Amino acid sequence: ALFFFFLLKPETAAVLKRTVEALMERGAVVRNLENLGERSLPYKISRHKERHRRGGYFLIDLEGPPSIVSTMMDHLGRDIDVIRRTFIKHPVSKTEECSGIIPVNYEDKLIAKK
Amino acid sequence: MAARAAWRRLVPATPWQRPRRLQHEGRPGRPDQPIQMENPYKEPPKKCVLCGINVDYKNVQLLSQFVSPHTGCIYGRHITGLCNKKQKEITKAIKRAHVFGFMPVMFKNPSFLTDPKICNIKYPE
Repeated sequence: ALFFFFLLKPETAAVLKRTVEALMERGAVVRNLENLGERSLPYKISRHKERHRRGGYFLIDLEGPPSIVSTMMDHLGRDIDVIRRTFIKHPVSKTEECSGIIPVNYEDKLIAKK
Repeated sequence: MAARAAWRRLVPATPWQRPRRLQHEGRPGRPDQPIQMENPYKEPPKKCVLCGINVDYKNVQLLSQFVSPHTGCIYGRHITGLCNKKQKEITKAIKRAHVFGFMPVMFKNPSFLTDPKICNIKYPE
């Protein structure tokens, strides 16, 4: 499962450390931590009574039991520095079998559906 | 009754067959008849623009090419010209990017406005 969130500036290192420690406490194995850079958000996000315009994006690659998800979302909801938190399943990329557009025979489709 | 007996003799015993010389099907050992094979001039199936490219919710530039610059709505299949699979993947990735805060929702990111045009959309002048 992937985990992704963005947050505000200077205490970035401390926040990351906190998050990773919390994850490891619940029994997740952190595989990779990527920084997708700091950029201005596509739209203003209000979180914890503040309107944010810029944020740093971080992506944490982790493996763990699915029961972590709700507890972590809770935990991060309470963290002021985290603006948005999301969990995704690890994307399985298999694009080598794309065989192109096969022309569909609409007549057969119509007639065969009895 | 005698007429019916005469009739039976006129009808042949075996059904009529075309003479051997004029028969064209089911004749083994004739090399100059056409051999059944797949069409050798068949073209390879047409590929859509993204055939073979991995679609990710993170590369906003690729996703923005299928979004309208004025309203930010996702173009339909008749405009983008993608195959079923890829269109679905792109739609899901765009919606994800909206939620995760990668891509703006109501418009197209201004830095991507000069990207090459993939979709065949005609804007009213």
